[in-house]
Amino acid sequence: MNPAISALLFYLFALAALVSAIGVIVLRNPVSSALSLALCFGFVAAIFFNMGAAFLGITQIIVYAGAILVLFLFIIMMLDVKSEDHTSGLLRHSVVGVLVAGMLAGMISSAALRLPGAVGGSCPWHAFTESLCSELCPAAASTDPSASELQASISAPAPYGGALPTLDPAKRGADAKLLGQNLFSHYNLTLVILGFALLAGCVGAVSVGRRLRRD
Amino acid sequence: MLHNLPWLFLALPLLAAAIDWLLLFRSPRAAATVSILSVVATLALCVAYLAGLQTGLPDVYSWLPIEGCAINVGLLMDALSMKMMLVVTGIGALVHIFSLGYMKDDSSNHSRYFAGLSIFMFSMSAIVLADSLIMTFIGWEMVGFSSYVLIGHWYEKESAADAAKKAFITNRVGDFGFLIGILLALGVFGSLRFDAMPGHLAIAASGPLLTTMILCLFCGAIGKSAQFPLHVWLPDAMEGPTPVSALIHAATMVAAGVYMLVRLQVSMGTDVFTDTACSVIAAVGALTSLLAALMATQQDDLKRVLAYSTLSQLGYMVMAAGMLAGEAAMFHLYTHAWFKALLFLAAGALIVCCHHEQDIWKLGGLRKKMPLTSLCFLMGTCALIAFPGFSGFFSKEAILDAAWQTSMPLFVTGAVVAALTTFYMVRLCLVTFCGEAKSEGASHAHEAGSTMLIPLLVLSVLAIVSGYGFIADELVPYAGFHAEGVEVGVPFFAGLLALVVGAWLAWLIYGKSAHRDPLGDYTLARILRNRLYIDAFYDKVLVDGVQKWGSYIITCVDDGILRRIIGQGLGLLTAWVGKLLGKIQGGSLRGYAIVGGIGVLLLIFLLAFSIKL
Amino acid sequence: MTPLSHYLIFSGILFAIGFAGTMIRRNVLVVLMCLELMLTAANVSLVGFSRAQGLEGVPVYDAQTLALFIMAIAAAEVAVGLALIVAMFRARRGVESSSLNTLKD
Repeated sequence: MNPAISALLFYLFALAALVSAIGVIVLRNPVSSALSLALCFGFVAAIFFNMGAAFLGITQIIVYAGAILVLFLFIIMMLDVKSEDHTSGLLRHSVVGVLVAGMLAGMISSAALRLPGAVGGSCPWHAFTESLCSELCPAAASTDPSASELQASISAPAPYGGALPTLDPAKRGADAKLLGQNLFSHYNLTLVILGFALLAGCVGAVSVGRRLRRD
Repeated sequence: MLHNLPWLFLALPLLAAAIDWLLLFRSPRAAATVSILSVVATLALCVAYLAGLQTGLPDVYSWLPIEGCAINVGLLMDALSMKMMLVVTGIGALVHIFSLGYMKDDSSNHSRYFAGLSIFMFSMSAIVLADSLIMTFIGWEMVGFSSYVLIGHWYEKESAADAAKKAFITNRVGDFGFLIGILLALGVFGSLRFDAMPGHLAIAASGPLLTTMILCLFCGAIGKSAQFPLHVWLPDAMEGPTPVSALIHAATMVAAGVYMLVRLQVSMGTDVFTDTACSVIAAVGALTSLLAALMATQQDDLKRVLAYSTLSQLGYMVMAAGMLAGEAAMFHLYTHAWFKALLFLAAGALIVCCHHEQDIWKLGGLRKKMPLTSLCFLMGTCALIAFPGFSGFFSKEAILDAAWQTSMPLFVTGAVVAALTTFYMVRLCLVTFCGEAKSEGASHAHEAGSTMLIPLLVLSVLAIVSGYGFIADELVPYAGFHAEGVEVGVPFFAGLLALVVGAWLAWLIYGKSAHRDPLGDYTLARILRNRLYIDAFYDKVLVDGVQKWGSYIITCVDDGILRRIIGQGLGLLTAWVGKLLGKIQGGSLRGYAIVGGIGVLLLIFLLAFSIKL
Repeated sequence: MTPLSHYLIFSGILFAIGFAGTMIRRNVLVVLMCLELMLTAANVSLVGFSRAQGLEGVPVYDAQTLALFIMAIAAAEVAVGLALIVAMFRARRGVESSSLNTLKD
């Protein structure tokens, strides 16, 4: 696929995913929230496809959109949950929540932009924190040439900046196979433990959700 | 194995005490047997060593292996300690046997009594055989404890319990100084072993430091040997059983202070004893000797007279030690141990036979009813008042000789004390043994039993002969002791004059039978009878003062600061913080999420922006 | 063409939206959905890293394996969480998080 089209598709899907994610928390009816979440997961799955992780994208659709979301909807229907009404403190909580979440997003973004060799390293937030750090702990901020050399040697390939390395189109079809090989060779034990965790989750769900005998 | 035989000196009494206390608590007869066996065995061992038994040096056990001043537990076997052991175990054995008769009709627990005696023998042996000041101190504290137990043997009696506490607490005051002195000695010599503190090591130290060290060590002697101003516990200690008074509060334990001083002089050398320190020690000894003799003249209790005379004689010894006449001090210690034990045991026999009547003005006429006991008491008295030919005569002459050569005031004090001693002892004998019986108990008196008489007779013989050169040279606990023949000089005549004047005055005043002291109405006599009001002063000023301060501290510190400010204040603070934190813990899930989110923000800030790798 | 940082920023914003939801919404069901949203956001960055570390035209599959595990755990978490919500609904007759404050009194 043309890289430019691929990039364009990513931005489109990302925007759509973010909008539908906002829909999850803004819509008052839980059913609408759940559907919006399904939409969001779909777009994320599309992004996975776009990134070449085909197996994960399929799993995302099957597990999340297929199983989990259905489970959510099922519970919502079963409990007959009404849409949330406005109560006191909603505005206050919303303001604080948006503020905290906004700061979080800003921090993550600026950290992402500060990656070694990243483009747009001169964002204002970055500059601000830089000056703050050097003011708070000048010793740590002082550029020690040997330390920076060491850092350079550690992250020598530094692939984080710039564009992602391109995938070999010939090996695209082998995605599931390679993932499976990795999963069943290196992470076999972890996989078994994960199976037990799922089993424990099932047992726990049953024991918690079962109706207690009234006697 | 054999070279560890001396450890039996400590092991046997301790074992006996443990057996008495733990196994034989309900069978007093067996307990007494065990104790007597242990003390007789140690006596035999001691005699064997003095007769020339050589087993080599006993093992030294490492106790605190501190770098630079390792503290070991070891025994020091030299002439001083072994001959002192003979005095201790010899009198100990006699007192143990005497106790059998003395305690026969007593209703208290004999196992406890004999266990106490054994633990005392153990502690005293530890002092005598100690090879370092630390060991001495440990023994020092243990004799304090056993003395406490034995004074308070009849603890149902309030006066006995009080006396026990008084003895213990008063000794603590002295022990505090002693401990400081030990630490100073460690600083000066770098070691506390008696064989590792020669005087030349101390030359580098300054005079004032040495004086302080010696005087601090002397504090221990002040407490244990009951010197002024800590002498107040000894007369009260007479509340204990009389054999205990004979063993602990006359012959051995109270002499430990003198022994310790002489031990220091032997091991450190007399150079370390600065002039100031010596003057203070001699002055304290002389003052104690004089005051105690004065107070003794107006006491009415049989045992208290003897107690004050013990104080007075201890003052003599300390004075001799202060004059650096360790030889004379140990000579007097040795003769005094025998004849004072004799006096106390004889007094004990009198008391038992007169149905626990101790007031001398209610006794009387015992000469006829208890001839043997009276004779023994008379022998002891003659030795104490230094009648020529008796043991006390030789040792007192030695001290007066030393005083004559050292300082005039000390000599005069010594002579006056000798006169006073004769005065009060003759008074005691006249009132107790002559005239008519003045109470029910005394009129029904009878001769003591054989378990009491045998120790008395043995001690009587020793009280007479122990001063003569052929015995003294062998047995006086001082290396290379040689009994000088009595020189006819100023000290000799002074002693004789004191004897004659004291006896004549006493005969003049107390020769006629009376029911109360003819001198009792004079102000001076009243002051002396009330022990110069020193005890009252301590009670009023020290005890009450301390209690007042204590209660002030309780109201101020405890109630005010601790309870009000800290207790309640902390409570209020905690409640306030709790309320504040309770608001956060409001049960609102969203609130928790927000707080958690802020925490996550901080974490990210710290991890991604603040910490530079 | 698209740099890694843009994937990460997208992931971060998605995470922040989910986080805001947990703080703002009272409905426990929606809070649970927001948790899922956050987990998915983490998956996005994992896949991004797996691409960025890739060599010879193949992504590093360790990160994708981890993403797979996260999905499995998320499924288990949803199962238990929904069971809890059902139990809570039975006890409280509602799914409002504000009703979960009995421990306070």
